[in-house]
Amino acid sequence: MAKSVTLEVVTPSKLFYKGEIELVIVRTLMGDEGFMANHAWACKLLDTGELWIKEAGQKEYKIAAIAGGYIDVKDDIIIFTDAAEWPYEIDLDRAKSEKERAEEWLRVRTPENTDNLEVAKAKLAIAKSLNRMQVKGGGSIQRK
Amino acid sequence: MGANNMRDIKRRIKSITSTEHITNAMKLVSSAKLRKAKRTFEKTREYFHYVTESIEEIFNNTSEVPEQYLEGNREIKTTAYIIITSCRGLCGSFNINVIKEAQKEIDKDWEEPVIIAVGTKGKEYFERRGYKIQSEYISPPENISFVETHDISKPIIDMYDSGQIDEVVLIYTSFVSGIEQRVRTVTLLPFSIERDPEIEPLGKQVEYEPSAAAVFNYLVPKYVEIMIYGAIVESATCEHAARRIAMENATDNARDMLDNLTLYYNRARQAAITNELSEIVGGAEALKG
Repeated sequence: MAKSVTLEVVTPSKLFYKGEIELVIVRTLMGDEGFMANHAWACKLLDTGELWIKEAGQKEYKIAAIAGGYIDVKDDIIIFTDAAEWPYEIDLDRAKSEKERAEEWLRVRTPENTDNLEVAKAKLAIAKSLNRMQVKGGGSIQRK
Repeated sequence: MGANNMRDIKRRIKSITSTEHITNAMKLVSSAKLRKAKRTFEKTREYFHYVTESIEEIFNNTSEVPEQYLEGNREIKTTAYIIITSCRGLCGSFNINVIKEAQKEIDKDWEEPVIIAVGTKGKEYFERRGYKIQSEYISPPENISFVETHDISKPIIDMYDSGQIDEVVLIYTSFVSGIEQRVRTVTLLPFSIERDPEIEPLGKQVEYEPSAAAVFNYLVPKYVEIMIYGAIVESATCEHAARRIAMENATDNARDMLDNLTLYYNRARQAAITNELSEIVGGAEALKG
């Protein structure tokens, strides 16, 4: 069995997860990256994406949706994110309707959505809903 | 006099009793809300330090920290004030304390301030006095989520980045205990930090990705967001605590008044009875004679 390390996933309003893990996979700005015990110290920014956790002694991965943030790898691993959800917390219909709304909004060109900030916001909303839908469905790829 | 006076007193007793019912109910509601708010507040407090620690760590470990968020990188002309008040009244001096402090800070400033009002009370006050309100956020703070505070913090950070404002000051009420709240003024940006020679540089090399500067530039606005979120949560806690105290005092006062009024009422009734008795006795005496 591989060595284990403590992982904490923190959001501004709560401690989302804390436990001993073997491997955690997150989506950094450069792409998916896995961290295990004794990883070189790092501090990396994260993109909206899936969070995969392989707990110590467990075969299956746990999956969650996170909305950006950063990972701080020292002797322990800390992930700080704006929002995190387990699959059972995700409302699929809501994610779908949110995505549709944002897409609709982007399609209909009005003077106000030439505003870059708003466009970026809508795109982010789409990315987040897509991510939620994927996590609900068990993730975008199979990990065994 | 008797009957008239008694009716007046009775009417007042009735009205004060109903006021007492209301304040007492509000007190109970506030205590319940306070408990809930306090729980959220304590949780936020717990994770606050991660971000500040990471900022300090990067700052102390790399030489290539971008200057734009640091103290002393530019002259401070325009200051943005984020003033956090409540949306409802009946909470004692809670709002007026914040407003007074904010007014004091603004008066010290030569330039025209940029005001961001969270909560209607502060907004109304500064609007009446002719200040321009840059942005406002007025839905009740107790169930605000972190993502919602983005709407407040994002424009502030953008304005800072584009140079429209040079300083961001946050004025809110901090929670000391259930009976004591204090107004606090915190300067969020520029970020004041000093290279502490006492802190040993970390023993190992840290990989920053995409780069130390990028991580730093991500963390500082995040810090602003978290501080604003934290301040709103804390203010909400204080609001409930302040309202609970105010309502408790109001209930106590109402009960005191009721006691006094009941005493007067009984006295007036007794006086009326005595009066009637002496009239009857006087009448009987007169008949006898």
